[in-house]
Amino acid sequence: MSKKSKPVENSPKTCAKPVGKTVIKVENLCKSFRLPTERAAGLKQAIFNWLKGVKGYTEHEVLKGVSFEVHQGEFIGIVGRNGSGKSTLLKLLAQIYYPESGSITVDGTLVPFIELGVGFNPELTGRENVYLNGALLGFSHREMDAMYDEIVRFAELEPFMDAKLKNYSSGMQVRLAFSIAIRARGDILILDEVLAVGDAEFQQKCNDYFASLHGEQTVILVTHSMENVRRFCDRAILIEDGKVMTEGDPEEVAKAYEGLWQ
Amino acid sequence: MSRIPNVLCRKNRILLGELIKTDFKLRYQGSVLGYLWAILRPLLMFAILYIVFAKLLQMGGDIPHYPVYLMTGTVLWNFFTECTGQGIQAIVNRGDLLRKISFPKYIVVVSATATALINLAINLCVIVVFALINGVTPSWSWLLVLPLILELYAFALGISFLLGAINVKYRDITSIWDVLIQALFYAVPIIYPISMVLERGAFGQIAANIILINPIAQVIQDVRYNLITDATITTWGLVEWPLCLMPLLIVFLTLVLAALFFRRRSKRFAEEV
Repeated sequence: MSKKSKPVENSPKTCAKPVGKTVIKVENLCKSFRLPTERAAGLKQAIFNWLKGVKGYTEHEVLKGVSFEVHQGEFIGIVGRNGSGKSTLLKLLAQIYYPESGSITVDGTLVPFIELGVGFNPELTGRENVYLNGALLGFSHREMDAMYDEIVRFAELEPFMDAKLKNYSSGMQVRLAFSIAIRARGDILILDEVLAVGDAEFQQKCNDYFASLHGEQTVILVTHSMENVRRFCDRAILIEDGKVMTEGDPEEVAKAYEGLWQ
Repeated sequence: MSRIPNVLCRKNRILLGELIKTDFKLRYQGSVLGYLWAILRPLLMFAILYIVFAKLLQMGGDIPHYPVYLMTGTVLWNFFTECTGQGIQAIVNRGDLLRKISFPKYIVVVSATATALINLAINLCVIVVFALINGVTPSWSWLLVLPLILELYAFALGISFLLGAINVKYRDITSIWDVLIQALFYAVPIIYPISMVLERGAFGQIAANIILINPIAQVIQDVRYNLITDATITTWGLVEWPLCLMPLLIVFLTLVLAALFFRRRSKRFAEEV
């Protein structure tokens, strides 16, 4: 892919405050999971629990009232330690989970890249998987035809598209999945931890791509890399114990994140 | 959430089409004969039943075109078992997908059962060829087979929605259904003719009525009646009005209640599967 040369006036990002319309509005979002206390996976155990009056699970609150907004064209970083509720938040945004209370309003199409190889089937060829994946994101065969070449080129997998996915190395699978996610033209891109995968060259390519997106595409990125937060994000949100701890300037949030362990 | 979801909007149609294509492509992958198995399997099953029940046990009695009659029953039964078997497992089998992306969950169930529908279409062609060879005269009543298959599919889909949704949390359903469907096989007049039950006097009369209230039996007998011979005993011919409407009522209620239950449960599939 030829690198997009960005006009110079866009690059100093700290001074350009986002003024686009609100595309995602999250209000007082709560989510809890039921964790089985003892093995309540079978019908027998469920009946025993019911007879004994045991609930069979404990409520585990993951998100305790999270609110924030995302504006059009913003690059938002979400950070927080393991188990703080970041992934749950992303899955709620992508409408995979349903919230217990609170609301999420999304204006536009979402392209989630939350786990690797969304819907990849190892028995299908790379080409077939691209079209299947496209269908999952809501693109017809013809629409995918138009994006196909670009996806393959970005993934650098031209010679392997007719091989079955099970014969791909894990790095190749990641590259293909990631290329589909960023090349599929959605309004909002949701990414989880993807910068940690692929070899150095591909990571560099992704980083360049992110830099080129700046101000054009709305992106929500969950990451542990404060370097990436400082480099790409217009704004960042630190989630701690199911609540928004700090929100705002990437530098401040990165410092707060690093301060969690001190 | 008050918005009524557009069940067959463009996005859902695209996804459904692509999933059906994938399922069908993968079904016979790695086998030498490939799609030919879609025809071969029921033919071989039929051959076994024919040798055992028509030749050895002589169960056909005076039913004309008994081999085709028997084959129609087995093909429809195989369709029902395949449909429910795939449908009940659909959500669990596609768990990885549900955990990663948001889409209407019913699509997974419909796409899983669609392969059975395609197989049935192929098998029906085989039956028609068999019927013509066997000397059955073609008639306009053959067209009535299509709405009857739709009824059977609706029933299978209803059961898939209901049990598939419970199966997410309680995998016992798979085993229970395996046993249940085995029992159901004998409760449907596939290998034995209804006339054989009727020969058992008053008890036989009651038993035949109960057997024919089952929607599966009603559909199979009606298809045989319209396709092969009007010597077939159907629900409409044997069961009294208005009790003979029971099969239709059962199908309708199963589908509607199962769909409502499925929709309510589907919100938690991604967490539970």
